[in-house]
Amino acid sequence: MGVAFVAHCLLNQNSKTDGGARCPGVYSPAVEVLRAKGWRIEQMPCPELAFTGLNRFWAVREQYDTPAHRRHCQRLAAGVADAISVRAGQGEDIVLIGIEGSPSMGVCITSSDPLRGGRPEWPDGAPELTSGEGIFIEELRLELERRGIGFPRVAGMTHPLPGHDEVAETAGLRSVLDNS
Amino acid sequence: MDGDARSFRIALAADSYVNPPPGGVDGLAVLGEAGWGIMQLPDPAYPAEMTSRILAGIAEQVQEFHRHRYDIVLVGEHDGLAAALAEVSVPVPDQVIPASAAELRRFLGARPAPQVLRPGPATGSRE
Repeated sequence: MGVAFVAHCLLNQNSKTDGGARCPGVYSPAVEVLRAKGWRIEQMPCPELAFTGLNRFWAVREQYDTPAHRRHCQRLAAGVADAISVRAGQGEDIVLIGIEGSPSMGVCITSSDPLRGGRPEWPDGAPELTSGEGIFIEELRLELERRGIGFPRVAGMTHPLPGHDEVAETAGLRSVLDNS
Repeated sequence: MDGDARSFRIALAADSYVNPPPGGVDGLAVLGEAGWGIMQLPDPAYPAEMTSRILAGIAEQVQEFHRHRYDIVLVGEHDGLAAALAEVSVPVPDQVIPASAAELRRFLGARPAPQVLRPGPATGSRE
């Protein structure tokens, strides 16, 4: 048992970019695994929601990689780092659950296209997925490093990715939770 | 919003309803079943300065939902939430402090349909 810091949208699909909500509110596959294993849940903020709003376009990492957005993420990451610091100080096991493919919350897979911009027209399946972290996760890593706190184990939920396999997704989450 | 399954309904939920103590009301389960999104309020055991910072971030996000007319409710209570919402000119939402899952279900079931401002096709200039 421990504390799982989860991407905002896992508890609130209303925060997703238009067209991205897979269910009305709570993404239950992740929550069910955490609950079954007795993990405490702490929701992280959605960095995109308060910056570019509900009517934002789908975007890749480069479009969010601006000094202003990084400052916004640094401010939010400080709050999450505060909470992680308290939990780590209490000796609790911590995992971070992100969203693969996200320009902000990806933990192993983010999205990248240095040329994307202008009128938002591009074909479905454009090859923007790439290995790496989203901007917010990167800033959280830096903030924890500044504080001398080790970066937690991570699990990435894969439901936004093409070819998503829910069984594999939850198995991956269980594996990370069990790997203390 | 073709293909988008969002509910346009959000509950600001006290930590004890997301991580209920033994015998407590499992607000997360009820809200999830009813199709509500959750914005979790910070653990009341956190230090005050840290809590203020987290609440300020939450309030900014709530403001965005509020201006798009999502239905927002408060489940439970949290000192400091009203002040944080006031900073972004958002009123404290309708509130319930349910003593049972059934009470929470009844409260949610009585909510009116959200009057959401939905996005439409882009018509603005590229600049």
